[in-house]
Amino acid sequence: MIRSEKVRRVLRIALPFVIMPALVLLLPRAMQAKYYAPVTFLMTGFALLLFLAGFERRELGTRRMILVSVMTALSVLGRMLPVIKPITALTVLSAMYLGPEAGFLTGALSAVLSNFIMGQGPWTPFQMLAWGLIGLFAGLLAKPLRRSKLLLYLYGILSGIGYSMVMDIWTTVWTYGEFSLRQYAAAVISSMPYPVVYAVSNLIFLMLLAKPFGEKLARIGKKYGL
Amino acid sequence: MRAFEAMNPAAVTVTLLLTACITIFCLEPVLLGISLACAIAYYLMRNGCRHAAFHIGALGMPLLFALLNPLWNQHGETVLFIINQRAITQEALFYGGVTGLRLAAVFYWFRNFSDLMTSEKLFYLFRGFSPKLALIFTMAVRNLSLFRAQAKKIQTAQRALGLYREGHLIDDLRGGMRVFSILLTWALENGITAANSMSARGYGSGKRSSFTYFRWHNGDIVLLLMSLILAAFVIDAAFRGILTWQFYPQRIPPAVTLPYLAALAAYTALAMLPVIYEGKEVLTWHCLRRSI
Repeated sequence: MIRSEKVRRVLRIALPFVIMPALVLLLPRAMQAKYYAPVTFLMTGFALLLFLAGFERRELGTRRMILVSVMTALSVLGRMLPVIKPITALTVLSAMYLGPEAGFLTGALSAVLSNFIMGQGPWTPFQMLAWGLIGLFAGLLAKPLRRSKLLLYLYGILSGIGYSMVMDIWTTVWTYGEFSLRQYAAAVISSMPYPVVYAVSNLIFLMLLAKPFGEKLARIGKKYGL
Repeated sequence: MRAFEAMNPAAVTVTLLLTACITIFCLEPVLLGISLACAIAYYLMRNGCRHAAFHIGALGMPLLFALLNPLWNQHGETVLFIINQRAITQEALFYGGVTGLRLAAVFYWFRNFSDLMTSEKLFYLFRGFSPKLALIFTMAVRNLSLFRAQAKKIQTAQRALGLYREGHLIDDLRGGMRVFSILLTWALENGITAANSMSARGYGSGKRSSFTYFRWHNGDIVLLLMSLILAAFVIDAAFRGILTWQFYPQRIPPAVTLPYLAALAAYTALAMLPVIYEGKEVLTWHCLRRSI
């Protein structure tokens, strides 16, 4: 999503092939102390940049763009519900019907925007990436997910658990300044109620919303000839 | 010289991000202490003594981490005591405290950052990076209040229809779902109408220009240069290992030399920039009021 074509091309090649490997190799040498947390933070930021730079090329279309902003606003509002949050379910649904890019943007933008209310922090890029990827994969799997309800529910449950486990990586790295399987296991266990809560709330909201959402979008499509 | 929040958002972002990034990267207790003190000072200047819960949560971090780290970490050679055949070492306790200190300082800096950056300023920053993303972002922000108002309208209408009993759990839930469903239909349709009217007015047909309040004044460039130079000095010192502590197996602080003190002084100056700008503003205001 960068304006000039040249900068974009340079970034697309430089980031994954030059800057990111160089950082991984050089930073540990430069700092003898613990370096995991900052490197993870930077890598996450770069990965986000890379995704966003890739999306500018694709034609998202005015209507799809506006629908992404609508879905983002709805999931931010939904995040203020107590305990169960529809944010993943709404991301998955918009990815299924609007495509992978739209899914990624909805997930990532919902994370930033809702963190203005819930509290911004060094975890924001991680959340953006986690939710964005949930949307991206849902968009790529759109066809089977739309065909089979069971698969959609399974995706909801898995993405809830997966989200929690990805965020546990962040917790481990930030808490201990390093990453080892034992510490990761401790973080996963100590976050125990959350994966279940996420999985259940994704399931509930997908069950409630999948059918009406599909119908509503189909209706809009027919009415306005999308 | 204007107040810190009135400076160009890009300069403010660079200053705060450099301060926070050095805090994240540099595990140096003295530097972290300076960083935390400056962040708290700036936070208190802007917010007064409110948000006690946040202060307690953030300042409890070092203590919590100091207590937690020895449970997983058994490096270090000074054993304090033994619980369940696990040695609790002084070094692990200290290291945990330092990581907690880092987290607390980063919390405060991010809190200050999100206090300062209104969505309008964020839009200004995004704009250079990606006009499309900036547009989606602003529309989503606008939709938030729009949808909230619309949900209220729908709810009132539903109440007036006499569909639900008050304070009945199942009716409340069904009512909530119904309001959400109606809101979704309305929001999608409203979005399509907005998109249609945008393309009717030629959105996406050519290059776009956009209006913004923020300009680059000389003061902004001075702020930007100051923070870049100070941060470069500290980062250079960090890379040369002047600020490196050894935590395990023995705690060895870096030698207190002139470059070490100079790096700390540079960081103090960098972290104090927001406080200095804000303090100058408070002082001016005070003098103006005194002269009335």
